[in-house]
Amino acid sequence: MLLNVLRAEIGKGLRVQLAHPAGHLITLLISTMMYLGLQFVLGQGALRQDLLPHTLVAIGGYWFLQYAGLVMVADLIEEKRAGTFTQAQMTPAPPWLPMLGRLLTASIFGLAVAAVAALVPMMVAGITIPWRWAALLPAGLLWVNALAFTFLLAALALVSPVIGALQSLFTSLVLLLNGSFLPLALYPDWLAAAARVLPTTLGIEALTQTLFEGRTLSRLWTDGALPWLLAHTLALTAAAGLLFVRNHRRALESS
Amino acid sequence: MIEIDALTKVYGAAHAPAVDEVSLRIPAGSVFAFLGPNGAGKTTTIKMLAGLLTPTSGQVRLGGFDVARQRSAAMAQFGAVLEGSRNVYWSLSAWQNLMYFGRLKGMRKPRVAERAQDLLTDLGLWERRHDKVGGFSRGMQQKVAIAAALIADPPIVLLDEPTLGLDVEATRIVKNWIAEQARELGTTILLTTHQLDVAQELCDRVAVMRQGRLVADLPTRELLARFRERDRYEIRLEGAAPPGFDAVTREGVTTIGVRVNEPREVYDVVERLRAHGAVIESLTQVQPDLEDVFLALVSEPSHAA
Repeated sequence: MLLNVLRAEIGKGLRVQLAHPAGHLITLLISTMMYLGLQFVLGQGALRQDLLPHTLVAIGGYWFLQYAGLVMVADLIEEKRAGTFTQAQMTPAPPWLPMLGRLLTASIFGLAVAAVAALVPMMVAGITIPWRWAALLPAGLLWVNALAFTFLLAALALVSPVIGALQSLFTSLVLLLNGSFLPLALYPDWLAAAARVLPTTLGIEALTQTLFEGRTLSRLWTDGALPWLLAHTLALTAAAGLLFVRNHRRALESS
Repeated sequence: MIEIDALTKVYGAAHAPAVDEVSLRIPAGSVFAFLGPNGAGKTTTIKMLAGLLTPTSGQVRLGGFDVARQRSAAMAQFGAVLEGSRNVYWSLSAWQNLMYFGRLKGMRKPRVAERAQDLLTDLGLWERRHDKVGGFSRGMQQKVAIAAALIADPPIVLLDEPTLGLDVEATRIVKNWIAEQARELGTTILLTTHQLDVAQELCDRVAVMRQGRLVADLPTRELLARFRERDRYEIRLEGAAPPGFDAVTREGVTTIGVRVNEPREVYDVVERLRAHGAVIESLTQVQPDLEDVFLALVSEPSHAA
Protein backbone atom coordinates (compact mmCIF):
# COMPACT_ATOMS: atom_id res chain seq x y z
CA MET A 1 0.00 0.00 0.00
CA LEU A 2 2.83 2.40 0.90
CA LEU A 3 4.46 2.02 -2.49
CA ASN A 4 1.12 2.52 -4.20
CA VAL A 5 0.56 5.79 -2.29
CA LEU A 6 4.09 6.95 -3.01
CA ARG A 7 3.71 6.30 -6.74
CA ALA A 8 0.33 8.06 -6.77
CA GLU A 9 1.82 11.11 -5.05
CA ILE A 10 4.76 11.30 -7.46
CA GLY A 11 2.50 10.79 -10.49
CA LYS A 12 0.13 13.49 -9.31
CA GLY A 13 3.00 15.86 -8.57
CA LEU A 14 4.48 15.39 -12.03
CA ARG A 15 1.10 15.94 -13.72
CA VAL A 16 0.38 19.06 -11.67
CA GLN A 17 3.81 20.49 -12.44
CA LEU A 18 3.69 19.64 -16.13
CA ALA A 19 0.22 21.17 -16.47
CA HIS A 20 2.05 24.51 -16.58
CA PRO A 21 5.33 23.82 -18.40
CA ALA A 22 6.23 27.42 -19.26
CA GLY A 23 7.80 28.13 -15.86
CA HIS A 24 10.01 25.07 -16.08
CA LEU A 25 11.15 25.91 -19.60
CA ILE A 26 12.09 29.46 -18.58
CA THR A 27 14.11 28.08 -15.65
CA LEU A 28 15.91 25.64 -17.95
CA LEU A 29 16.79 28.52 -20.25
CA ILE A 30 18.09 30.69 -17.40
CA SER A 31 20.04 27.80 -15.89
CA THR A 32 21.93 27.19 -19.15
CA MET A 33 22.82 30.83 -19.66
CA MET A 34 23.59 31.89 -16.11
CA TYR A 35 26.65 29.77 -15.44
CA LEU A 36 28.67 30.63 -18.53
CA GLY A 37 27.72 34.30 -18.22
CA LEU A 38 28.86 34.32 -14.61
CA GLN A 39 32.16 32.62 -15.36
CA PHE A 40 32.76 34.92 -18.34
CA VAL A 41 32.39 37.97 -16.09
CA LEU A 42 34.53 36.45 -13.31
CA GLY A 43 37.22 35.54 -15.85
CA GLN A 44 37.23 39.18 -17.00
CA GLY A 45 36.06 38.35 -20.50
CA ALA A 46 37.40 34.82 -20.76
CA LEU A 47 36.39 31.37 -19.51
CA ARG A 48 39.07 30.00 -17.17
CA GLN A 49 39.30 26.33 -18.05
CA ASP A 50 41.13 25.52 -14.79
CA LEU A 51 38.15 26.70 -12.74
CA LEU A 52 35.27 25.56 -14.90
CA PRO A 53 35.00 21.86 -13.92
CA HIS A 54 34.95 22.56 -10.16
CA THR A 55 32.48 25.40 -10.42
CA LEU A 56 30.26 23.48 -12.85
CA VAL A 57 29.75 20.72 -10.27
CA ALA A 58 28.89 23.38 -7.70
CA ILE A 59 26.42 25.18 -9.95
CA GLY A 60 24.75 21.83 -10.64
CA GLY A 61 24.34 21.41 -6.88
CA TYR A 62 23.00 24.92 -6.58
CA TRP A 63 20.41 24.43 -9.32
CA PHE A 64 19.24 21.18 -7.80
CA LEU A 65 18.78 22.80 -4.40
CA GLN A 66 17.23 25.95 -5.81
CA TYR A 67 14.73 24.32 -8.12
CA ALA A 68 13.74 21.34 -5.99
CA GLY A 69 13.12 23.81 -3.16
CA LEU A 70 11.13 26.13 -5.37
CA VAL A 71 8.92 23.34 -6.74
CA MET A 72 8.39 21.89 -3.27
CA VAL A 73 7.56 25.14 -1.51
CA ALA A 74 5.41 26.61 -4.29
CA ASP A 75 3.48 23.35 -4.53
CA LEU A 76 2.86 23.20 -0.79
CA ILE A 77 1.76 26.83 -0.54
CA GLU A 78 -0.65 26.40 -3.44
CA GLU A 79 -2.06 23.18 -2.02
CA LYS A 80 -2.50 24.70 1.41
CA ARG A 81 -4.33 27.64 -0.12
CA ALA A 82 -6.53 25.44 -2.28
CA GLY A 83 -7.29 22.90 0.47
CA THR A 84 -5.99 19.86 -1.42
CA PHE A 85 -3.20 19.56 1.16
CA THR A 86 -5.78 18.86 3.87
CA GLN A 87 -7.73 16.52 1.62
CA ALA A 88 -4.57 14.54 0.85
CA GLN A 89 -3.95 14.00 4.59
CA MET A 90 -7.06 11.84 4.92
CA THR A 91 -5.27 8.75 3.74
CA PRO A 92 -4.53 5.50 5.53
CA ALA A 93 -0.86 6.17 4.76
CA PRO A 94 1.33 7.88 7.37
CA PRO A 95 1.59 11.69 6.93
CA TRP A 96 5.29 11.57 6.00
CA LEU A 97 4.63 9.39 2.97
CA PRO A 98 2.84 11.97 0.76
CA MET A 99 5.56 14.42 1.83
CA LEU A 100 8.22 11.98 0.66
CA GLY A 101 6.37 11.71 -2.64
CA ARG A 102 6.41 15.48 -2.97
CA LEU A 103 10.13 15.54 -2.18
CA LEU A 104 10.87 12.96 -4.85
CA THR A 105 8.79 14.89 -7.39
CA ALA A 106 10.65 18.08 -6.54
CA SER A 107 13.86 16.10 -6.80
CA ILE A 108 13.01 15.03 -10.36
CA PHE A 109 12.58 18.66 -11.40
CA GLY A 110 15.71 19.69 -9.50
CA LEU A 111 17.74 16.94 -11.18
CA ALA A 112 16.40 17.87 -14.62
CA VAL A 113 17.38 21.51 -14.21
CA ALA A 114 20.76 20.62 -12.67
CA ALA A 115 21.49 18.20 -15.51
CA VAL A 116 20.65 20.75 -18.20
CA ALA A 117 22.52 23.47 -16.31
CA ALA A 118 25.64 21.27 -16.34
CA LEU A 119 25.38 19.53 -19.72
CA VAL A 120 24.85 22.63 -21.87
CA PRO A 121 27.99 24.45 -20.58
CA MET A 122 29.94 21.17 -20.91
CA MET A 123 29.01 21.03 -24.57
CA VAL A 124 29.37 24.76 -25.26
CA ALA A 125 32.67 25.32 -23.40
CA GLY A 126 34.10 21.83 -23.85
CA ILE A 127 34.28 21.13 -20.11
CA THR A 128 35.25 17.58 -19.21
CA ILE A 129 34.34 15.93 -15.94
CA PRO A 130 36.05 12.59 -15.38
CA TRP A 131 33.84 9.80 -14.03
CA ARG A 132 34.92 7.78 -11.02
CA TRP A 133 32.83 5.16 -9.21
CA ALA A 134 34.03 6.53 -5.88
CA ALA A 135 32.07 9.69 -6.71
CA LEU A 136 28.75 7.86 -6.41
CA LEU A 137 28.64 7.97 -2.61
CA PRO A 138 29.41 11.70 -2.23
CA ALA A 139 27.04 12.43 -5.12
CA GLY A 140 24.31 10.42 -3.39
CA LEU A 141 24.97 12.16 -0.09
CA LEU A 142 24.94 15.54 -1.85
CA TRP A 143 21.52 14.65 -3.24
CA VAL A 144 20.21 13.59 0.18
CA ASN A 145 21.78 16.68 1.77
CA ALA A 146 20.01 19.00 -0.66
CA LEU A 147 16.75 17.08 -0.28
CA ALA A 148 17.00 17.30 3.52
CA PHE A 149 17.29 21.06 3.17
CA THR A 150 14.30 21.04 0.79
CA PHE A 151 12.39 19.07 3.41
CA LEU A 152 13.34 21.68 6.01
CA LEU A 153 12.04 24.43 3.74
CA ALA A 154 8.84 22.44 3.20
CA ALA A 155 8.36 22.03 6.94
CA LEU A 156 8.76 25.80 7.33
CA ALA A 157 6.42 26.46 4.40
CA LEU A 158 3.62 24.65 6.24
CA VAL A 159 3.29 27.52 8.71
CA SER A 160 5.62 30.39 7.85
CA PRO A 161 4.20 33.35 5.91
CA VAL A 162 7.75 34.51 5.06
CA ILE A 163 8.97 31.25 3.56
CA GLY A 164 9.50 32.89 0.15
CA ALA A 165 11.94 35.41 1.62
CA LEU A 166 13.71 32.75 3.70
CA GLN A 167 14.10 30.51 0.69
CA SER A 168 15.54 33.36 -1.39
CA LEU A 169 17.97 34.22 1.38
CA PHE A 170 19.30 30.69 1.78
CA THR A 171 19.53 29.83 -1.91
CA SER A 172 21.31 33.13 -2.61
CA LEU A 173 23.83 32.32 0.11
CA VAL A 174 24.32 28.87 -1.37
CA LEU A 175 24.91 30.31 -4.84
CA LEU A 176 27.37 32.80 -3.42
CA LEU A 177 29.32 30.40 -1.22
CA ASN A 178 28.98 26.76 -2.31
CA GLY A 179 31.70 27.04 -4.96
CA SER A 180 29.59 28.08 -7.95
CA PHE A 181 31.66 31.29 -8.38
CA LEU A 182 35.07 30.02 -7.31
CA PRO A 183 36.25 26.66 -5.97
CA LEU A 184 36.07 26.48 -2.17
CA ALA A 185 39.86 25.92 -2.00
CA LEU A 186 40.37 29.53 -3.09
CA TYR A 187 38.27 30.97 -0.24
CA PRO A 188 39.87 32.38 2.92
CA ASP A 189 39.63 29.78 5.72
CA TRP A 190 36.97 31.62 7.69
CA LEU A 191 34.75 31.97 4.63
CA ALA A 192 35.24 28.34 3.65
CA ALA A 193 34.26 27.31 7.19
CA ALA A 194 31.12 29.45 7.01
CA ALA A 195 30.30 28.07 3.56
CA ARG A 196 30.48 24.49 4.84
CA VAL A 197 27.56 25.17 7.19
CA LEU A 198 25.33 25.75 4.17
CA PRO A 199 23.64 22.85 2.37
CA THR A 200 25.44 21.29 -0.63
CA THR A 201 28.89 22.78 0.13
CA LEU A 202 30.30 19.74 1.95
CA GLY A 203 28.83 17.43 -0.69
CA ILE A 204 30.33 19.42 -3.54
CA GLU A 205 33.69 19.51 -1.80
CA ALA A 206 33.71 15.73 -1.32
CA LEU A 207 32.44 15.14 -4.85
CA THR A 208 35.03 17.36 -6.53
CA GLN A 209 37.79 15.75 -4.43
CA THR A 210 36.86 12.31 -5.79
CA LEU A 211 36.26 13.50 -9.35
CA PHE A 212 39.22 15.81 -9.88
CA GLU A 213 41.79 14.73 -7.28
CA GLY A 214 41.04 11.01 -7.49
CA ARG A 215 40.60 10.63 -3.72
CA THR A 216 39.28 7.29 -2.59
CA LEU A 217 36.36 6.89 -0.21
CA SER A 218 38.68 5.76 2.59
CA ARG A 219 40.77 8.88 2.09
CA LEU A 220 37.63 11.01 2.16
CA TRP A 221 36.68 9.33 5.40
CA THR A 222 40.05 9.82 7.08
CA ASP A 223 40.27 13.41 5.80
CA GLY A 224 36.98 14.09 7.50
CA ALA A 225 35.14 15.10 4.34
CA LEU A 226 32.72 12.16 4.42
CA PRO A 227 32.06 12.16 8.20
CA TRP A 228 31.30 15.87 8.12
CA LEU A 229 29.03 15.48 5.10
CA LEU A 230 27.25 12.58 6.76
CA ALA A 231 26.86 14.47 10.03
CA HIS A 232 25.62 17.59 8.24
CA THR A 233 23.09 15.55 6.26
CA LEU A 234 21.86 13.71 9.34
CA ALA A 235 21.55 16.94 11.31
CA LEU A 236 19.59 18.60 8.49
CA THR A 237 17.33 15.55 8.14
CA ALA A 238 16.69 15.39 11.88
CA ALA A 239 15.96 19.12 12.09
CA ALA A 240 13.63 18.89 9.09
CA GLY A 241 11.87 15.83 10.52
CA LEU A 242 11.29 17.46 13.91
CA LEU A 243 10.10 20.68 12.33
CA PHE A 244 7.79 18.74 10.03
CA VAL A 245 6.15 16.85 12.90
CA ARG A 246 5.57 20.11 14.77
CA ASN A 247 4.43 22.20 11.81
CA HIS A 248 2.34 19.52 10.14
CA ARG A 249 0.03 19.44 13.17
CA ARG A 250 -0.12 23.24 13.29
CA ALA A 251 -0.83 23.44 9.57
CA LEU A 252 -3.78 21.07 9.86
CA GLU A 253 -5.12 22.94 12.88
CA SER A 254 -5.09 26.19 10.94
CA SER A 255 -6.41 24.70 7.69
CA MET B 1 -21.01 3.58 12.23
CA ILE B 2 -19.58 6.73 13.76
CA GLU B 3 -19.07 6.78 17.52
CA ILE B 4 -18.01 9.95 19.29
CA ASP B 5 -17.41 9.75 23.04
CA ALA B 6 -16.99 12.77 25.31
CA LEU B 7 -15.02 14.56 22.63
CA THR B 8 -13.38 17.75 23.85
CA LYS B 9 -11.05 20.25 22.22
CA VAL B 10 -9.51 23.18 24.04
CA TYR B 11 -7.28 25.60 22.11
CA GLY B 12 -5.01 26.93 24.85
CA ALA B 13 -5.73 26.82 28.56
CA ALA B 14 -7.19 30.34 28.66
CA HIS B 15 -9.93 29.57 26.16
CA ALA B 16 -13.32 27.97 26.65
CA PRO B 17 -13.57 24.53 25.02
CA ALA B 18 -14.30 24.75 21.30
CA VAL B 19 -15.91 21.32 21.66
CA ASP B 20 -17.10 20.27 25.07
CA GLU B 21 -17.84 16.63 25.95
CA VAL B 22 -19.70 15.85 22.74
CA SER B 23 -21.00 12.29 22.41
CA LEU B 24 -22.82 10.92 19.37
CA ARG B 25 -23.75 7.59 17.82
CA ILE B 26 -24.47 7.63 14.10
CA PRO B 27 -25.75 4.28 12.91
CA ALA B 28 -24.59 2.72 9.64
CA GLY B 29 -26.62 3.65 6.58
CA SER B 30 -28.13 6.80 8.05
CA VAL B 31 -27.94 10.38 6.83
CA PHE B 32 -27.08 12.53 9.80
CA ALA B 33 -27.26 16.31 9.87
CA PHE B 34 -24.75 18.08 12.04
CA LEU B 35 -25.94 21.64 12.47
CA GLY B 36 -24.95 24.73 14.37
CA PRO B 37 -24.31 28.43 13.94
CA ASN B 38 -20.85 29.67 12.98
CA GLY B 39 -18.42 29.17 15.86
CA ALA B 40 -20.51 26.42 17.45
CA GLY B 41 -17.70 23.88 17.18
CA LYS B 42 -18.90 21.92 14.14
CA THR B 43 -15.73 22.41 12.10
CA THR B 44 -13.51 21.47 15.04
CA THR B 45 -15.56 18.32 15.60
CA ILE B 46 -15.39 17.44 11.92
CA LYS B 47 -11.62 17.95 11.87
CA MET B 48 -11.20 15.65 14.85
CA LEU B 49 -13.42 13.13 13.14
CA ALA B 50 -11.29 13.35 10.01
CA GLY B 51 -8.09 12.89 11.99
CA LEU B 52 -6.92 16.40 11.15
CA LEU B 53 -7.04 17.61 14.75
CA THR B 54 -6.01 15.82 17.91
CA PRO B 55 -8.73 15.92 20.58
CA THR B 56 -7.84 17.25 24.02
CA SER B 57 -9.83 14.33 25.39
CA GLY B 58 -12.44 11.87 24.24
CA GLN B 59 -12.53 9.45 21.38
CA VAL B 60 -13.77 9.11 17.80
CA ARG B 61 -14.30 5.69 16.22
CA LEU B 62 -15.05 5.24 12.55
CA GLY B 63 -16.39 1.80 11.69
CA GLY B 64 -15.07 0.64 15.06
CA PHE B 65 -11.55 2.02 14.55
CA ASP B 66 -10.18 4.67 16.89
CA VAL B 67 -9.07 7.68 14.80
CA ALA B 68 -6.20 8.51 17.19
CA ARG B 69 -4.88 4.99 17.84
CA GLN B 70 -5.85 3.16 14.64
CA ARG B 71 -5.55 6.07 12.24
CA SER B 72 -4.74 4.05 9.16
CA ALA B 73 -7.71 1.70 9.51
CA ALA B 74 -10.02 4.58 10.47
CA MET B 75 -9.02 6.66 7.43
CA ALA B 76 -9.79 3.70 5.16
CA GLN B 77 -13.39 3.89 6.43
CA PHE B 78 -13.79 7.49 5.50
CA GLY B 79 -14.19 9.93 2.60
CA ALA B 80 -14.79 13.65 2.92
CA VAL B 81 -15.72 16.76 1.03
CA LEU B 82 -14.68 19.74 3.11
CA GLU B 83 -16.30 23.15 2.82
CA GLY B 84 -14.25 26.19 1.81
CA SER B 85 -11.66 24.23 -0.14
CA ARG B 86 -11.33 22.89 -3.63
CA ASN B 87 -10.91 19.31 -2.40
CA VAL B 88 -9.61 18.28 -5.84
CA TYR B 89 -6.81 19.44 -8.17
CA TRP B 90 -8.06 21.94 -10.70
CA SER B 91 -5.06 21.47 -12.97
CA LEU B 92 -5.82 17.76 -13.30
CA SER B 93 -8.69 16.11 -15.15
CA ALA B 94 -11.61 14.49 -13.33
CA TRP B 95 -10.15 11.10 -14.25
CA GLN B 96 -6.67 11.94 -12.96
CA ASN B 97 -8.14 13.27 -9.70
CA LEU B 98 -10.11 10.10 -9.06
CA MET B 99 -7.13 7.90 -9.93
CA TYR B 100 -4.96 9.89 -7.51
CA PHE B 101 -7.40 9.93 -4.60
CA GLY B 102 -8.25 6.25 -5.07
CA ARG B 103 -4.60 5.22 -4.95
CA LEU B 104 -4.01 7.57 -2.01
CA LYS B 105 -6.58 5.45 -0.18
CA GLY B 106 -4.44 2.41 -0.97
CA MET B 107 -6.52 1.01 -3.87
CA ARG B 108 -4.92 -0.76 -6.79
CA LYS B 109 -4.99 0.94 -10.18
CA PRO B 110 -7.42 -1.41 -12.01
CA ARG B 111 -9.93 -1.24 -9.14
CA VAL B 112 -9.72 2.57 -9.03
CA ALA B 113 -10.25 2.79 -12.79
CA GLU B 114 -13.33 0.58 -12.56
CA ARG B 115 -14.80 2.58 -9.69
CA ALA B 116 -13.92 5.93 -11.31
CA GLN B 117 -15.75 4.89 -14.46
CA ASP B 118 -18.87 4.00 -12.45
CA LEU B 119 -18.82 7.23 -10.46
CA LEU B 120 -18.17 9.51 -13.42
CA THR B 121 -20.90 7.79 -15.41
CA ASP B 122 -23.38 8.06 -12.52
CA LEU B 123 -22.60 11.75 -12.12
CA GLY B 124 -22.87 12.51 -15.83
CA LEU B 125 -19.18 13.42 -16.16
CA TRP B 126 -17.91 10.50 -18.19
CA GLU B 127 -17.81 12.41 -21.48
CA ARG B 128 -15.71 15.14 -19.87
CA ARG B 129 -13.48 12.90 -17.79
CA HIS B 130 -10.31 14.10 -19.49
CA ASP B 131 -11.10 17.82 -19.14
CA LYS B 132 -9.33 19.81 -16.47
CA VAL B 133 -11.50 20.34 -13.38
CA GLY B 134 -10.57 24.03 -13.32
CA GLY B 135 -12.67 24.52 -16.45
CA PHE B 136 -15.77 22.90 -14.93
CA SER B 137 -18.80 24.71 -13.49
CA ARG B 138 -19.10 24.89 -9.69
CA GLY B 139 -21.64 22.08 -9.73
CA MET B 140 -19.41 19.81 -11.81
CA GLN B 141 -16.43 20.55 -9.58
CA GLN B 142 -18.50 19.63 -6.55
CA LYS B 143 -19.54 16.39 -8.24
CA VAL B 144 -15.87 15.54 -8.84
CA ALA B 145 -15.11 16.32 -5.18
CA ILE B 146 -17.92 14.04 -4.05
CA ALA B 147 -16.76 11.33 -6.44
CA ALA B 148 -13.21 11.66 -5.05
CA ALA B 149 -14.58 11.24 -1.51
CA LEU B 150 -16.43 8.10 -2.59
CA ILE B 151 -13.76 6.61 -4.85
CA ALA B 152 -12.63 4.03 -2.31
CA ASP B 153 -16.27 3.16 -1.57
CA PRO B 154 -15.91 4.16 2.09
CA PRO B 155 -18.65 3.13 4.49
CA ILE B 156 -18.61 6.63 5.99
CA VAL B 157 -18.74 9.93 4.09
CA LEU B 158 -18.53 13.41 5.52
CA LEU B 159 -20.08 16.11 3.36
CA ASP B 160 -19.43 19.62 4.63
CA GLU B 161 -21.86 22.00 2.90
CA PRO B 162 -22.17 19.79 -0.19
CA THR B 163 -24.78 21.99 -1.89
CA LEU B 164 -23.33 25.40 -1.05
CA GLY B 165 -23.11 27.62 -4.12
CA LEU B 166 -24.85 25.11 -6.37
CA ASP B 167 -27.75 26.01 -8.63
CA VAL B 168 -31.15 24.39 -8.22
CA GLU B 169 -30.49 21.60 -10.70
CA ALA B 170 -27.07 20.72 -9.32
CA THR B 171 -28.46 20.81 -5.75
CA ARG B 172 -31.21 18.40 -6.76
CA ILE B 173 -28.71 15.99 -8.33
CA VAL B 174 -26.42 16.05 -5.29
CA LYS B 175 -29.37 15.59 -2.90
CA ASN B 176 -30.71 12.61 -4.87
CA TRP B 177 -27.29 11.12 -4.96
CA ILE B 178 -26.76 11.47 -1.21
CA ALA B 179 -30.11 9.80 -0.56
CA GLU B 180 -29.24 6.99 -2.96
CA GLN B 181 -25.83 6.39 -1.37
CA ALA B 182 -27.37 5.98 2.07
CA ARG B 183 -30.54 4.12 1.22
CA GLU B 184 -29.33 1.81 -1.52
CA LEU B 185 -25.66 1.35 -0.69
CA GLY B 186 -25.83 1.66 3.10
CA THR B 187 -23.25 4.47 3.31
CA THR B 188 -23.28 6.46 6.55
CA ILE B 189 -23.40 10.14 5.66
CA LEU B 190 -22.59 12.96 8.03
CA LEU B 191 -23.82 16.18 6.53
CA THR B 192 -23.20 19.69 7.71
CA THR B 193 -25.14 22.45 6.05
CA HIS B 194 -26.66 25.84 6.59
CA GLN B 195 -29.34 24.94 4.03
CA LEU B 196 -31.77 23.52 6.53
CA ASP B 197 -34.33 22.51 3.92
CA VAL B 198 -31.68 20.17 2.49
CA ALA B 199 -31.03 18.71 5.95
CA GLN B 200 -34.74 18.30 6.66
CA GLU B 201 -35.33 16.57 3.35
CA LEU B 202 -32.38 14.18 3.53
CA CYS B 203 -31.55 13.43 7.12
CA ASP B 204 -32.86 10.69 9.37
CA ARG B 205 -31.39 12.33 12.42
CA VAL B 206 -30.25 15.81 13.39
CA ALA B 207 -27.74 17.03 15.94
CA VAL B 208 -27.41 20.70 16.79
CA MET B 209 -24.34 22.23 18.41
CA ARG B 210 -24.10 25.50 20.23
CA GLN B 211 -21.09 26.96 22.00
CA GLY B 212 -19.21 23.68 21.76
CA ARG B 213 -22.00 21.56 23.21
CA LEU B 214 -24.71 19.39 21.74
CA VAL B 215 -28.12 20.94 22.35
CA ALA B 216 -30.07 18.33 20.37
CA ASP B 217 -29.55 14.87 18.94
CA LEU B 218 -32.79 13.32 17.78
CA PRO B 219 -34.43 11.70 14.79
CA THR B 220 -35.60 14.50 12.48
CA ARG B 221 -39.31 13.72 12.92
CA GLU B 222 -39.01 13.55 16.68
CA LEU B 223 -37.11 16.80 16.80
CA LEU B 224 -39.78 18.54 14.74
CA ALA B 225 -42.52 16.97 16.85
CA ARG B 226 -40.94 18.24 20.04
CA PHE B 227 -41.40 21.76 18.83
CA ARG B 228 -45.08 21.32 18.11
CA GLU B 229 -45.79 22.66 21.61
CA ARG B 230 -45.13 25.99 20.01
CA ASP B 231 -47.73 25.27 17.37
CA ARG B 232 -48.57 28.03 15.02
CA TYR B 233 -51.78 28.45 13.11
CA GLU B 234 -52.60 30.41 10.04
CA ILE B 235 -56.12 31.80 9.60
CA ARG B 236 -57.22 33.08 6.22
CA LEU B 237 -60.08 35.54 6.12
CA GLU B 238 -62.47 36.79 3.50
CA GLY B 239 -62.02 40.54 3.37
CA ALA B 240 -60.09 42.71 5.78
CA ALA B 241 -59.02 41.68 9.27
CA PRO B 242 -60.90 43.17 12.22
CA PRO B 243 -59.04 45.79 14.30
CA GLY B 244 -56.65 44.41 16.92
CA PHE B 245 -55.40 41.53 14.78
CA ASP B 246 -51.97 41.47 13.24
CA ALA B 247 -52.75 40.56 9.65
CA VAL B 248 -50.94 40.41 6.34
CA THR B 249 -52.80 41.01 3.09
CA ARG B 250 -51.22 39.64 -0.05
CA GLU B 251 -52.94 39.44 -3.44
CA GLY B 252 -56.32 40.10 -1.84
CA VAL B 253 -55.98 37.37 0.79
CA THR B 254 -55.80 38.34 4.44
CA THR B 255 -53.82 36.02 6.70
CA ILE B 256 -53.49 36.11 10.45
CA GLY B 257 -50.64 34.23 12.07
CA VAL B 258 -51.43 32.90 15.53
CA ARG B 259 -48.93 31.41 17.94
CA VAL B 260 -50.42 29.47 20.87
CA ASN B 261 -49.18 27.43 23.76
CA GLU B 262 -52.18 25.09 23.85
CA PRO B 263 -54.27 24.10 20.82
CA ARG B 264 -57.50 25.08 22.60
CA GLU B 265 -56.35 28.69 22.60
CA VAL B 266 -57.13 28.69 18.89
CA TYR B 267 -60.83 28.54 19.74
CA ASP B 268 -60.53 31.81 21.66
CA VAL B 269 -59.04 33.49 18.60
CA VAL B 270 -61.76 32.08 16.35
CA GLU B 271 -64.43 33.32 18.80
CA ARG B 272 -62.92 36.82 18.80
CA LEU B 273 -62.87 36.86 15.01
CA ARG B 274 -66.49 35.71 14.84
CA ALA B 275 -67.46 38.36 17.34
CA HIS B 276 -66.07 40.94 14.92
CA GLY B 277 -68.05 39.39 12.06
CA ALA B 278 -64.98 38.10 10.21
CA VAL B 279 -65.51 35.26 7.74
CA ILE B 280 -62.90 32.50 8.13
CA GLU B 281 -61.85 30.92 4.85
CA SER B 282 -59.44 28.39 6.27
CA LEU B 283 -57.56 27.51 9.43
CA THR B 284 -54.31 25.60 9.08
CA GLN B 285 -51.83 24.29 11.61
CA VAL B 286 -48.37 25.41 10.57
CA GLN B 287 -45.84 22.66 11.16
CA PRO B 288 -42.50 23.85 12.45
CA ASP B 289 -39.71 23.26 9.96
CA LEU B 290 -36.08 22.56 10.77
CA GLU B 291 -35.24 26.22 10.45
CA ASP B 292 -37.72 27.12 13.22
CA VAL B 293 -36.36 24.35 15.40
CA PHE B 294 -32.76 25.33 14.70
CA LEU B 295 -33.38 28.97 15.52
CA ALA B 296 -35.17 28.02 18.72
CA LEU B 297 -32.36 25.71 19.77
CA VAL B 298 -29.52 28.09 19.13
CA SER B 299 -31.20 31.13 20.64
CA GLU B 300 -32.57 29.64 23.86
CA PRO B 301 -30.54 28.94 26.98
CA SER B 302 -30.93 25.14 27.23
CA HIS B 303 -32.53 22.40 25.22
CA ALA B 304 -30.97 19.17 26.22
CA ALA B 305 -31.74 16.30 23.87
